[in-house]
Amino acid sequence: MTSPVRRSAAPVLLFLLLVFSSSVSAWKKEEFRSCKQTPFCKRARTRAPHSLPPFSVSDVSLSDGSVSGRLVPSPSIRQVTDEDPSADAAVDDTAQRPLLFRLSVYHGGILRLEIDEDPSSAPTPKRRFRLPDVLLPDLEDRRLWLPRLSSPSGVAATSFYLADGFEGILRHDPFEIVVRRTGSEGEPVLSFNSHGLFDYEQLRAKKEGEDWEESFRSHTDSRPHGPQSISFDVSFHGANFVYGIPEHASPSLSLRPTRGSGVDESEPYRLFNLDVFEYLHDSPFGIYGSIPFMLSHGTRSTSGFFWLNAAEMQIDVLAPGWDDSAAPNAGRVDSFWMSEAGVVDAFFFVGPGPKDVLKQYASVTGTPAMPQEFAVAYHQCRWNYRDEEDVAAVDAAFDEHDIPYDVLWLDIEHTDGKRYFTWDRTLFPHPEEMQKKLAAKGRHMVTIVDPHIKRDDSFHVHKEATEKGYYVKDASGKDFDGWCWPGSSSYSDMLNPEIREWWADKFSYKNYVGSTASLYIWNDMNEPSVFNGPEVTMPRDAIHHGEVEHRELHNAYGYYFHMATANGLVKRGNGKDRPFVLSRAFFAGSQRYGAIWTGDNSADWDHLRVSVPMILNLGLTGMSFSGADVGGFFGNPEVDLLVRWYQLGAYYPFFRGHAHHDTKRREPWLFGEENTALMREAIHIRYSLLPYYYTLFREAATSGIPIMRPLWLEFPADKETYDNSEAFMVGSSLLVQGVYEKNQKSVSVYLPSGASWFNLRNGVKYDGGVLLKLDASEDSIPSFQRAGTIIPRKDRFRRSSTQMVNDPYTLVIALNGSLAAEGELYIDDGESYDFEKGAYIHRRFIFANNKLTSIDIRPSTAGEKKFSSDCTIERIILLGLPSGAKKAVVAPGNHEMNIELGPLTLRKGSKPIALTIRKPNIRVADDWSVRIF
Amino acid sequence: MGALRIKLSLTITCLFALWIAGFASLPAREFLGIAPQDEGYYKSDVIKCKDGAKKFTKQQLNDEFCDCLDGTDEPGTSACPEGKFYCRNSGHIPQIIFSSRVNDGLCDCCDGSDEYNGNVNCSNTCWEAGKAARERLKKKIEKHQDGLVIRKQEVEKAKQEFVKEEVELSKLKNEEKILKGLVEKLREHKERIKKAEEEERLKKEKEEAQRVAETKSNEQKQLLDEYPEDLPERPHDKLEKTSQHVLEDKDITTVKAGANEETGTKEVHPDDAADQVQSPETTEGLSREKLGRLVASRWTGELSDKQTKEHNDKNEEEKENHDFAESGEEENYDSYYHSDTDDDRHQYDDEDDDNDFQDDADEPYGKDEVEYDDSSYTDKDFTSESPDTTTGSLSWLDKIQHTVQNHEIISTFVESSRVNKEYDDASLKLSKLQSRISSLSEKLKHDFGKEKEFYSFYDQCFEYKQNKYVYKVCPFRKASQVEGHSTTQLGNFGSSDEFLPLCQSIKAQRLLLHELRWANFEESYSVMQFSNGEKCWNGPDRSLKVRLRCGLKYELADVDEPSRCEYVAILSTPISCREEKLKELQQKLEDLNKSQPLAHDEL
Repeated sequence: MTSPVRRSAAPVLLFLLLVFSSSVSAWKKEEFRSCKQTPFCKRARTRAPHSLPPFSVSDVSLSDGSVSGRLVPSPSIRQVTDEDPSADAAVDDTAQRPLLFRLSVYHGGILRLEIDEDPSSAPTPKRRFRLPDVLLPDLEDRRLWLPRLSSPSGVAATSFYLADGFEGILRHDPFEIVVRRTGSEGEPVLSFNSHGLFDYEQLRAKKEGEDWEESFRSHTDSRPHGPQSISFDVSFHGANFVYGIPEHASPSLSLRPTRGSGVDESEPYRLFNLDVFEYLHDSPFGIYGSIPFMLSHGTRSTSGFFWLNAAEMQIDVLAPGWDDSAAPNAGRVDSFWMSEAGVVDAFFFVGPGPKDVLKQYASVTGTPAMPQEFAVAYHQCRWNYRDEEDVAAVDAAFDEHDIPYDVLWLDIEHTDGKRYFTWDRTLFPHPEEMQKKLAAKGRHMVTIVDPHIKRDDSFHVHKEATEKGYYVKDASGKDFDGWCWPGSSSYSDMLNPEIREWWADKFSYKNYVGSTASLYIWNDMNEPSVFNGPEVTMPRDAIHHGEVEHRELHNAYGYYFHMATANGLVKRGNGKDRPFVLSRAFFAGSQRYGAIWTGDNSADWDHLRVSVPMILNLGLTGMSFSGADVGGFFGNPEVDLLVRWYQLGAYYPFFRGHAHHDTKRREPWLFGEENTALMREAIHIRYSLLPYYYTLFREAATSGIPIMRPLWLEFPADKETYDNSEAFMVGSSLLVQGVYEKNQKSVSVYLPSGASWFNLRNGVKYDGGVLLKLDASEDSIPSFQRAGTIIPRKDRFRRSSTQMVNDPYTLVIALNGSLAAEGELYIDDGESYDFEKGAYIHRRFIFANNKLTSIDIRPSTAGEKKFSSDCTIERIILLGLPSGAKKAVVAPGNHEMNIELGPLTLRKGSKPIALTIRKPNIRVADDWSVRIF
Repeated sequence: MGALRIKLSLTITCLFALWIAGFASLPAREFLGIAPQDEGYYKSDVIKCKDGAKKFTKQQLNDEFCDCLDGTDEPGTSACPEGKFYCRNSGHIPQIIFSSRVNDGLCDCCDGSDEYNGNVNCSNTCWEAGKAARERLKKKIEKHQDGLVIRKQEVEKAKQEFVKEEVELSKLKNEEKILKGLVEKLREHKERIKKAEEEERLKKEKEEAQRVAETKSNEQKQLLDEYPEDLPERPHDKLEKTSQHVLEDKDITTVKAGANEETGTKEVHPDDAADQVQSPETTEGLSREKLGRLVASRWTGELSDKQTKEHNDKNEEEKENHDFAESGEEENYDSYYHSDTDDDRHQYDDEDDDNDFQDDADEPYGKDEVEYDDSSYTDKDFTSESPDTTTGSLSWLDKIQHTVQNHEIISTFVESSRVNKEYDDASLKLSKLQSRISSLSEKLKHDFGKEKEFYSFYDQCFEYKQNKYVYKVCPFRKASQVEGHSTTQLGNFGSSDEFLPLCQSIKAQRLLLHELRWANFEESYSVMQFSNGEKCWNGPDRSLKVRLRCGLKYELADVDEPSRCEYVAILSTPISCREEKLKELQQKLEDLNKSQPLAHDEL
């Protein structure tokens, strides 16, 4: 945004430039640590493959059905291979005691590797931190009891069963783990330490004169426990690309190599949750959340690797030939993982299909929570809707323009001096009444609750937290005091379950004065953001519950905070009301607690573009309920950008418009009738697809398969899709291509092979495997329905999703070459947990042999509760049916209906292009069939 | 089997009865949601969609399936997204609502006709609502009627005033010509005296030299040295005045700075400001609190805003110095000519029963006048001689002319000083005259509306206090936000074409709230636009849109900031009471009253 200031500039000019621009310039690179400024990263990254003395495996045994043993460092004195003369690097092998490892196998193709120090020979009382509460509590129940170990002939190794068609190999000397397909080929899928980069800095006593402190800018990290980093290499065999490890902003879906031959060396991908002001749209630097889960995909295999570790992590994706430029290996992607602290607790997912990998990951960290239906609809936010009049005016304007919305959001200014759980009573004198007025129209409200607590003795939350000792402590043991919105602030220690319970109780109607049942919560700044901390976050030597250092926990702080808040809302509703909590920070497992968004993006076309690969990578790593701020948070979007953003954002799983308080108002009706109509139409598309989206949320909640999917997830064999960052699938039936440039005249869409596609603008059918060039029309972005699918819609529009409950459905059937199609519809009460007891409708629609049949796919074991609906189907649209069909007969009842040509949507100007069964009026909950003549 | 059949038929009968009951009080299903004047359109058996795209049968009318994308076939259901539903609302005004409101469980029409599927019971509130609406309408009509009376008078007055000032201007221009001539003559005269004196002096010097008398010659030389320099229009007076103002402003500056430091809760620490200015690297070495504040400011802009503001303040102060000087002169002349307008003003006050407001608005300017009167230009003769420009001006001009004509070239010391004084007086008068001419022609250049109805706005300011801020709007000049001692410029009125007729500037209006766009239909002066105010941190230049509304009093209200630094406000004024609007309101009331007896019967 701002050009760099030249030192040679005249002082006056400098002064003026700084006054007017310094505070608005973008990302402050120098305020964040690069790998070179991070000793553990610098040390590890400069090592050559196999330059470290190797570890060997000894004492392998089966205990409790898992493989365990010791990793013994090579007796030779470890070479100091890097040039870094710092104290840490110069450490000799005195700390190199044997490590303990365990290999466990879990149901469904999952191998777990744990490596920790041996407590029996520990020289210090400090134990390495193992992050609790992330793995599903029932994971242990799904562990396979390995019956035996075998030794393949020829090499010193141990092999064991992993899953049907897969086995694990533990090579003894040097230590290496390989996951491979069984059979004569023994094709590897994943391997660990194939390049001998495994390193484990063990805890030890401080030596005389040794200085463990680290400084960055004006901050000093006391590092009382010294160096304790871990690094290793992981190889993905048979892979063309790797994905995942969010959160990074990048226009690329796949992770581009960070070093290797023929690659401009960049920073490694950093996983360190940070509140980055005006983050760049293309950077490997870490932003708000971290999920240390990487997936690979290629023509031969899909696999995944997850490292459960919440300390700062740096990950290199290595271009072929990085290790040996003479013999680059194209059929493999290597990666190098470094972490500042913690243990090795890593999971290998064998696939073999892309969805298998996602399910395997979900079986370890959980599937996304089923949201309330309103949360799937459109959200309207701004920093800030000023007062009750403003809220009422915005609410009324939506109605005046017949634009539906479900949730109105209040940012930090609604509070009394940024004391969360309070209201600025001048601006919001009647919060309950305000919420009730919205609720009367079926609308909800969200208020913000951040983790920083104002240090003000008259603020009850602060008083209690102080008295109970619930705050995170600084290195000296005092309550940590940092600076955030309210000024001087402290942060409750969410690692402690007792403190999480205390926090959860703050959301009761009694404690949160002014809250009502239609109020939900937004957790911002939970990286945590500390304005005067190192890299705008908490010092690494701050102390949590159980003497855990912040460095060991950092990336999971926001996760715990999100968890505690979501549990607070569950408690508030006596376990009957599904919570809605949006969080900015996240970690592996956050999907169980709610939605996240991509933080403070900017109102420019680049940020529009990167939102898609960002959300896709979030979906691949479990966070399927995510979205980017429509319009861009910082800056004023030009109106074409805003319109394009609504058209794209309408397909985000989480769909919210938001804006910084310095920006002009940008509610959808403020840009002239023509643009209002375009944005209304975009929002209408989302509302009409709500039944489809809600069904996809159900699928995500049961399987972990995301709502918004990269094309390759549905078309794993089509290489053209592997790095497509512009188009995506919504579920398995809908393909959407964004328009990412101003005044774009035409748009190229790649339609994957193996299916035909119907353009939802005009019903035109295309074969797959082609790059299609279409006119970029102003009124929508390209979307296609895949032949062979059925999409349920509701084509009547209301003020909010709440009033759509009883509205009839439209089924859009896109027939494939064999004139067949399938689709699903899931319905429940949209708010309670009764669905867990079976209170839902789940239908599968099958079209074959000129007959559409609705089958109940709710298992009989689903539970004793039932859900009923009187909703009917008012219209069935058939795409790809040869013309000639005149009549349809519904069974039971033999009721006869006409088939006529009708429009694809009820939007003005649509042409009658598709065969339409008029008013079948069959109940969606019933079994029936419709035969076509 | 038999029992079952009976049961079934019973159920059917019951359902039928219910159906009858349900629709008894409503128009027949096929007429649901159709306006009475539209019923004819739906009479035939085959009906066209209004957009001409298609035809549909009577059976398809309101059959809960959208056949016409424009909604023609489903006026009474929610089946077509583009549809509109008409509620009769007997006892109140009929209403047309979006079809998305039909049977959505919320009562939209006061007669409840939009909710007929039995999911919700809407009571008929049209009578009460209608009554209240009629009351409101009546009041509004009264306001417009009264407002129009005032408006008429004001427009009349404004026209007269305008003409008067135009006449005055041309008169002044004539006088300027004459006065210029006089000044020229006086100057020549003075030159001649000077020359004569010089000759006299030389002659005397010669005599002196001859006599060799020392002391006397010295004294005379002193006198001569003084006179030539006293020729122009008392430059020291002007100097005095300027320096005085500079001084005053300096005082204000210091007071401001002091106040900021004392009262600001989020005040800028001087160090902070300095730190930020040094270089982008300077977050290093900041105290923890300062660092926190600095980082926070990236999002909020608070710190930097203050800095920018301080900076701007300085600029603004300088500008104000300038403005003060300028407007000061203007005020002086205004006050000078107020004798003309004062009477009118009083009259005006009598009509408009809101004296306080007028007084308030005038106050600061009044003060200024006093200051100026005290300070320098105390040309009592000029002022007092000229209340009536038609006769008075003649008399003083005559007087001067007379004096000039009577001048004989008497080169005595007394005569010379008299001529000098006359010359000074005349040239001062000329400069004042010219100044008045320029301010008058500046004023008359403005667009005061078709009937010069906004003429009286020219020298008025309107204030509105909201929490800690006082908003001050001076039409044709500027608008500002005052907080204690600090003033933020919200914008300048600019030239007359900024007086936006709404229809001409759709683009400029894009960001306005919806209500405003309705004003597009009035081709009239309904918005005052102040733009190019102080720059906002990370935002636009401040601006203010003042929407004009009909009202009996002049009242500024509802100042709002819908987007950062883009302000809107409402100014009520009788000037904006319009005949057309009144007629529209009266028609509305008539319509309301028409349905009234009917509603009464129903009740």
